[in-house]
Amino acid sequence: MSGAVIEVRNVSKNYTGRHGAVNALAGVSLEVRAGEFLSLVGPSGCGKTTLLRIIDGITLPSGGDVLFEGRRLEGVSRDMAFVFQDINLLPWRSVVENVEIGLLARGMPPEERRRRALETLELVGLRAVAAAPPYALSGGMQQRVGVARALAIHPKVLLMDEPFGHLDNFTREVLQIEIAKLWRRLRMTVVFVTHDVDEAIFLSDRIALMQTGPGRLMDVLEVGLPHPRWEFNVRADARAIALRESIIEQLHVLRGVMV
Amino acid sequence: MSVPAAARDAADRSVRLPRNTVPVLAVLIVLGIWQLSGLFLNPILISTPAEVGRELFWLLRWGALELALVESLREMLIGLAAGLSVGIALGVLMGRYMTVEKLLAPFVNFFNATPLVVVIPLLVIWVGISIKARLLFVFLVTLWPVLLNTLAGIKNVQRGYVEVGMAFGLSESQMVRCISIPAAVPYILTGVRISAGLAIIGMIVSEMEVSFVGLGFLLLHFGSAFETGRLMAVIAVASLFGIVNVLAVKWVQARFFPWISAVAAEGQ
Repeated sequence: MSGAVIEVRNVSKNYTGRHGAVNALAGVSLEVRAGEFLSLVGPSGCGKTTLLRIIDGITLPSGGDVLFEGRRLEGVSRDMAFVFQDINLLPWRSVVENVEIGLLARGMPPEERRRRALETLELVGLRAVAAAPPYALSGGMQQRVGVARALAIHPKVLLMDEPFGHLDNFTREVLQIEIAKLWRRLRMTVVFVTHDVDEAIFLSDRIALMQTGPGRLMDVLEVGLPHPRWEFNVRADARAIALRESIIEQLHVLRGVMV
Repeated sequence: MSVPAAARDAADRSVRLPRNTVPVLAVLIVLGIWQLSGLFLNPILISTPAEVGRELFWLLRWGALELALVESLREMLIGLAAGLSVGIALGVLMGRYMTVEKLLAPFVNFFNATPLVVVIPLLVIWVGISIKARLLFVFLVTLWPVLLNTLAGIKNVQRGYVEVGMAFGLSESQMVRCISIPAAVPYILTGVRISAGLAIIGMIVSEMEVSFVGLGFLLLHFGSAFETGRLMAVIAVASLFGIVNVLAVKWVQARFFPWISAVAAEGQ
C-alpha cells in the first residue's frame, strides 16, 4: 500500500442556523491511503457525511483543508466520484443516460459516452436495462445505477455516503459483496460512510470512528482480516467479533461520558 | 389506501358498470331536462339542445363558422406560442439568476396583478385596429402565468438533483439544460395549461373589443340579433376550445413526460 491519496488537515465545519451555530466537525485530520477501503463509522450527527462531502468538494469546510495527491482541493474534484444515499437518479433520463451524466460534464463525445456508460452498466450487471427509465427499477438496482454513474468517470477515489442505507437486508448483503468485488477488481480507493458496524468490518481495511458533539474523529482501527471476505463467514470470525465489541464499546462509552 | 379487504371484495363482486357510466348518465339527464324545458320557456332566453345542434349544423354549412374558426385559431396560436416562448425563457433566466429576477420582479408583479383588459385601448392606439393588437393582447395575457410557474419550477428543483449535477461537475449551461429545466417541467406544464386557457379568453375578448372578426364577432352578432340558438352554438364551439386545450396538455405530458406521473405515484 502506497502513500496518502487524500489528506484531511484540521477540517472543521460550522453551520449557522436559526437556532444558533452548530459545530458539525471540529478539527478532523485523516489520511486516506491509495487503494484502501476506508470506512467512516459513527452515530447520526457525528459529521461523517459532512466530512465525506467536504472531501468531494460539494460542501466547503469552515476551516482546514483537503489535499488530493498533495494538491489543495478547490471546488469539486474531477478524480473523485460520489455515491449518494438518496441516489437521485434523474427520472427524465433513461438508466444509461443517467450513467452518462459525469461523462457529459467532461465533454466526452456522444458515441464514446454511450459506449463507456454501457460498459460500466455491464460491470454492475445492468446492461439489459440500459434503456429503461430509472423508476422502473427496484431500490437495489437503482443504487447499482448510482454506483455505475460514479464508476463511469473512472474515478481514482469512490466516495460512498451510506449507499445501502435505504435498502432491505437481503439486497444490502448482495450489494456489499458486489462492491467488495468491484473494489478488488478496479483497484480503487474507497471512502465509505456507514453507521452499520458489521458492514464496515466486512468491507474495510481501516475504520475511522467518529463521535458527536462536536463531530470529531476518535480513532482509526485496522481491520486486519484477509480478503476476499465473501469467501468466509466474517461475522463468525473471532477477530471480527473482537473488533466489533471494541468499536461498540468505544462509541458507547464516549456517548455515556457525554451525557 | 386502507379500504378493508372485505369491503373491497364486496365492491368487486357488485355489478360492474363501465367506468364512465355515471358522468355520461348525468350529462344525458341534464340534456333531457333542458330539452323538456323548451316546452315551457321563451326560446329567446334559452334554446334547447336539439335547436343548438341544428344551428351548429347550419353555421357549418353556411361557412361563416369555418372562417371565424380559422381567424380565431390563427390569432390564438400565434399569440400563445409567443407568450409561452418568452414566458418560459424569462422564467428560466429569473429562476437561475438572482440579478435578472430582482430586475424583472416589479414588472412581472405589476402586469400579473393588472386586469389586462384595461390595456386594450392603449394597444389599439399603439398598433391600430388590426390583428396586431389582438395578437399583442393574447401574448400579454398568456405571458405571465407560464412565466411565474416556470420561475417557481426552476426555484423548487429538488436539492438532490442539483447535488448530482454539482458532484459530477456539470457546467452552468449543462446544469440549466440537464437538471433545472427538465425538473421544472411539471410546473411549466401547469403554466402552459393556465396560459392556454387565458389565450382563449384573450382571443374572444379582443375579437369583441378590437376588431369584429372570429368567434368573438359571431357571439356579438348573434347576441345583438337575439338569435339565441346560433349564439349558444358558438358558445359550444368556444367551450370545445377549452376542452381541446386541457386534453392537449394532458396528452403532451403522457406522451413526452411519462416520468411525471410515475414519480408522483412513487411518492405516495
